[in-house]
Amino acid sequence: MHIVNLVVGRAVDLVLWPFRGLSPWFGLVVVSLLTALLMLEVYKLTSNQAAIRRAKDRIKAHLLEMRLYKDNMRVTLGAQAGILKSNLAYMAANLKPLAVMIVPLVLILARLSLWFDRAPLRPGEETLVKVELAASADPLSLDLRLELPPAVEATAPAVRIPDEHEVVWRIRALAEGRGRLLLRAGDRTIEKTVTVGGGPLTSVSALASRGSFVRRILYPGEPPLPGGTPVRTVEVLYPARRLAAFGVGVHWLVAYLVLSIAFGFALKGVFKVEI
Amino acid sequence: MSEYQRASLTRRDFLKAGVAASAVVGLGGAARLTPKVYGRARATKKMIVLGLDGMDPVLTRRWIDEGRLPAFRKLLEQGGDFRPLATSLPPQTPVAWSNFITGMDPGGHAIFDFFNRDPKTYVPVFSATETSGGSKTIRIGKNVIPLSAGQVRNLRKGRAFWQILEDAGVPATVFKMPSNYPPVESKQRTLAGMNTPDLKGSYGMFSYFTNETKAITQEAGGGGHAYDVFVIGNRVEAELKGPVNTFRTDAPEAAVPFQVFIDPENAAAKIVLQGQEFVLRQGEWSGWKRVRFNLIPTQSVHGICLFYLKEVRPKFKLYVSPIHMDPARPALPISTPESYARELERRFGPFFTKGLPADTSALDNGVLDEEEFLTLDNMVYEESMAMLEYELGRFDEGLLFYYFSNADQRQHMFWRLIDPGHPAYDEKLAARFGDVIARTYGEMDKALDRTLRKADRDTVVLVMSDHGFNTFRRGFNLNTWLLQNGYHRLQRPWKQEESSFFDNTDWSKTRAYGMGLSCLYINEQGREGQGTVAPGPDKDNLVLEIARKLEALTDPMTGERVVLKAFVSKDAYRGKNLEMAPDIVLGFNRGYRISWQSPLGGFPKEILEDNTQKWSGDHMSAPDVLPGIAFANRKFTAEAPALHDLTASVLGVFGVEKPEDMIGRNALE
Repeated sequence: MHIVNLVVGRAVDLVLWPFRGLSPWFGLVVVSLLTALLMLEVYKLTSNQAAIRRAKDRIKAHLLEMRLYKDNMRVTLGAQAGILKSNLAYMAANLKPLAVMIVPLVLILARLSLWFDRAPLRPGEETLVKVELAASADPLSLDLRLELPPAVEATAPAVRIPDEHEVVWRIRALAEGRGRLLLRAGDRTIEKTVTVGGGPLTSVSALASRGSFVRRILYPGEPPLPGGTPVRTVEVLYPARRLAAFGVGVHWLVAYLVLSIAFGFALKGVFKVEI
Repeated sequence: MSEYQRASLTRRDFLKAGVAASAVVGLGGAARLTPKVYGRARATKKMIVLGLDGMDPVLTRRWIDEGRLPAFRKLLEQGGDFRPLATSLPPQTPVAWSNFITGMDPGGHAIFDFFNRDPKTYVPVFSATETSGGSKTIRIGKNVIPLSAGQVRNLRKGRAFWQILEDAGVPATVFKMPSNYPPVESKQRTLAGMNTPDLKGSYGMFSYFTNETKAITQEAGGGGHAYDVFVIGNRVEAELKGPVNTFRTDAPEAAVPFQVFIDPENAAAKIVLQGQEFVLRQGEWSGWKRVRFNLIPTQSVHGICLFYLKEVRPKFKLYVSPIHMDPARPALPISTPESYARELERRFGPFFTKGLPADTSALDNGVLDEEEFLTLDNMVYEESMAMLEYELGRFDEGLLFYYFSNADQRQHMFWRLIDPGHPAYDEKLAARFGDVIARTYGEMDKALDRTLRKADRDTVVLVMSDHGFNTFRRGFNLNTWLLQNGYHRLQRPWKQEESSFFDNTDWSKTRAYGMGLSCLYINEQGREGQGTVAPGPDKDNLVLEIARKLEALTDPMTGERVVLKAFVSKDAYRGKNLEMAPDIVLGFNRGYRISWQSPLGGFPKEILEDNTQKWSGDHMSAPDVLPGIAFANRKFTAEAPALHDLTASVLGVFGVEKPEDMIGRNALE
């Protein structure tokens, strides 16, 4: 899984790299366009284009039938049944391409979230580092120490919460740069990146996980945590990033999906794809 | 953009600018676009007015002479002028600033006191604003659905000077003007000041979560609540109370649960509130935290508050500030245009929106100590300075009015420490905090320094305060005095001290009552609900009789007169809006003020009592002994200008004619 993450990550990073000094919108527009092109191609290759065209033609024919024979109840009802049947056929024809598309799409989304979901810390800003421990671990008896890079300082002692199997530190960003938090658990050391400052578009990895396959897909920013320690996850609570459009905050995922779909529909004729 | 730059803009530049602007708007730059101040014509004159609430002329003069206020001294040395500024009757903040806003006295703007009363029911009401719910509602089960919107109304009469400037095409920015809530209709940039409530609709209600016994004395219109909590397994579960949920028939307080996780050894805790997680050490303040109160699935109100972890052990003590309206999504109007508050929020993040942000109640009740109170009020000051810098940075035409509350609030709370004769004087505290007031004047001096640096030769700079200050050693129980002198009658005299809100008053035998901080009313037939005194000669004679007796009253403990002057309002005020005016306005002697219980219909046993509270400085004296300050970088033409003269002076600077009902006269050269 780590290798897949690495490959997808490199590809997305390569696309976004030229835009890191610009408004996040530029990167998002380009990524949405490329996603639309990729998905059109995948859709074209994996779907039964003839079946889709046939189902859409039948729906149009039944709609025409309803319009022409609107005074004839029997024909109208029959046309509606036909539309329903053709719709089901259309959806069935879409299942295979959707099933294929969802795999790269999830990987891309997970990677994009590193760029668009969270903003890096600004110098002077404070946040928390949260460590989640295994259920059997007692944070009070555990020898757990946090070592910080020069760009970051701790501003409060650890707060240990036995009920939640959690230890929290408050940190303050001092200077721009990317560094590594070192978490000493007995004789083992765990690393986690921390990002301060950077361009308007900077990738940040909020969570490093030892956990499940799903977690490793959803948080692809860092290699999995090593085993043999009670630490399950290490998280830096970065502030959420909101894209602004006409003075209104927009979640990046909404913008990405809308743009991708819009590009897909706009370019389907060029690539002769029946959607 | 200067005139020169405007003139030199070519067509190509224009097209480039247009394309760039489109890209900026389309790609999220809209947030940076800010509304322009209104004005039909570019103003040729410029004026900056600093409103420094409560600055006293005697103290100011003394500290200028001692070299502690270099900016004030510089202003005078560079051809400026200084006058004591005649204050309002009574010299209360909402009254005084209303004088300045309208250029009238209370007879014109109809704000006579912090409180007024409904004459039919004798119930006290806020004098400056009126809030009403939707007039028509329907009930569905336990839900109340309003069919019309509620309303909040500014009761001040008369036009504000920035409205008059607007008509004349002079742009203005008016920052936190007291007594301007809700802000009056205007296209000028204005942000509401004092009287702006917190999210609960009060003047400020803090929350204090603790497992020690704590009683909080409630104040009229504000105060706080102590909530008992339990620390179980180093964990505290509590609820932050918000506004009353009027969408429910039982009108419960909306509440938001939060948890505190205390480290078993370290003096620190993590707080979780609506998905926000933050760590506080003991003795540490949080930054602003947003909180959302859901009333019904489609309706919620948004607030902001500060947390202060006072102690984790042996006792748990957590202070939460009054919940301010979130300037990004205010539940009620706090600015004109509405986008101005949002613009400031985008620039500075959440900021203090409640009228007077210093939590004097928390200090009075010992929930915050002097150091903690000052830390909080210093946040207010720092925020004010940052916003002043911002407004000065973009000020290039018209008028900028900018307000600071710190001097007023700190003099109220720290006067006891510069007055060894005060009942609450504490030698140790005086050694630590005896210079707070002087330092605060120094901070106001810094604000003036920033302003003078910005002002060019064409800019008129005016520095003003609404009133001066003096000590508040003894409280006068007006209603008790009326009772003992036979003007007031109780139904159950043996329950005198338990009375409040006149719940024990026999109105059929009462001839006069006190309400508010300076006001005395005759129980007049036809005006009051159960009036006993006929209007005309009967009432006039009674007014004169009471006024004469009040002026003759002396304090047996000091031998000093309590009331220097009892003003008969129909003689003291000009204007046509006297229907809600009190009949007598009390002008106290130095050191005296109305007591804590009398303003809302209480009857303590003694007529005079020591003020042992930390609220120890005040400004209820007769106006003649309590002037404010007026400094300008121009000469004053009047020997003793008054607040309403400054209004006319502002209009005069821009060559705008004053309206007929404005009583002030231009006092600037």
